[in-house]
Amino acid sequence: MEGDCHYLDGNLAAKKRVKYIQRVLNAIGMESDRIAMVNLSSAMGAQFAQVATEMTERIRKLGPNPLRHSPQAKAPDGPDASE
Amino acid sequence: MITGEQKPLEEIKGFLGDDRNVLVVGCGTCVTVCFAGGEKEAQILASSLRMSTKLGGDPKEVSDVTVQRQCEWEYLDVIEKEVQEADIIVSLACGIGVQAMAKHFPEKWVVPGLNTNFLGLPEEQGLWTEQCQACGDCVLALTGGICPIARCAKQLLNGPCGGSENGLCEVKRVKKDGGIPVMETDARGRKRPVMEDVECAWHLIHERLSSLDKLDLLMEVQPPKDWSTSRDGGPRRIVREDLLLLDEG
Repeated sequence: MEGDCHYLDGNLAAKKRVKYIQRVLNAIGMESDRIAMVNLSSAMGAQFAQVATEMTERIRKLGPNPLRHSPQAKAPDGPDASE
Repeated sequence: MITGEQKPLEEIKGFLGDDRNVLVVGCGTCVTVCFAGGEKEAQILASSLRMSTKLGGDPKEVSDVTVQRQCEWEYLDVIEKEVQEADIIVSLACGIGVQAMAKHFPEKWVVPGLNTNFLGLPEEQGLWTEQCQACGDCVLALTGGICPIARCAKQLLNGPCGGSENGLCEVKRVKKDGGIPVMETDARGRKRPVMEDVECAWHLIHERLSSLDKLDLLMEVQPPKDWSTSRDGGPRRIVREDLLLLDEG
């Protein structure tokens, strides 16, 4: 649960980093919904299944990674679609 | 240290124009420590530019390299090959590094990827505060190590103005997160920036001198500051004849 982490405040730090990644995705032009964070304990199997299902449905609605289908740049050594 | 914040991606993309080969150059010194333009940030920016331009239908070749310091010629020599292969350079250094790049590679178009902000102190992780304005005539010996030039809105030299109340300045600061103003909605439904309190530098000076039993330092009236050592005389420079290399000619 939020703030109640085995690694003390690790989940609170992770929450801020997920927010940062959402901001980066927005700037790039990708849907920020492609990343999400939820807090569950190891005893919440049913909720985990529900959250995983919801995330899968959300990603299906958003569709495949658009970078895989856009024009290819002659990329140098760096990764592209898999970034 | 010099602090900076990365420009919005859209602004950086706007600099690229029709150029195809983009080189993002990070700097391993001040802007690495303030998480704005080091190796990691250069890689993230290069990756973001690759993905964003590809999504926009105009994919560009973007690579990155980071040097120890962009403000020294010897560190720029080592990236000569990468620079020559690029059409445009996005420098993630402070304004000094950007200008050094432009001067060292005069045939290359160099654009800034950062906004250089101030000379600041990393007070804690994720927080940098302005401490010095490089005025060229340090007064910290009179003020207990707290600078009224950088930290007083009015740059006063003889105590606080009438706007100091409960240790706070009458001037408020726009609250920002990652360089972006934090907004709130007022009672009429209008968006406005959230303002936050700023400590009164002179209150801090008084508290510190009082605790060190040095309040007598404040009894001497300070004359108007000589700003000729600051920016008033145009761009400044330091010359050390003892360090200049001998003219071999």
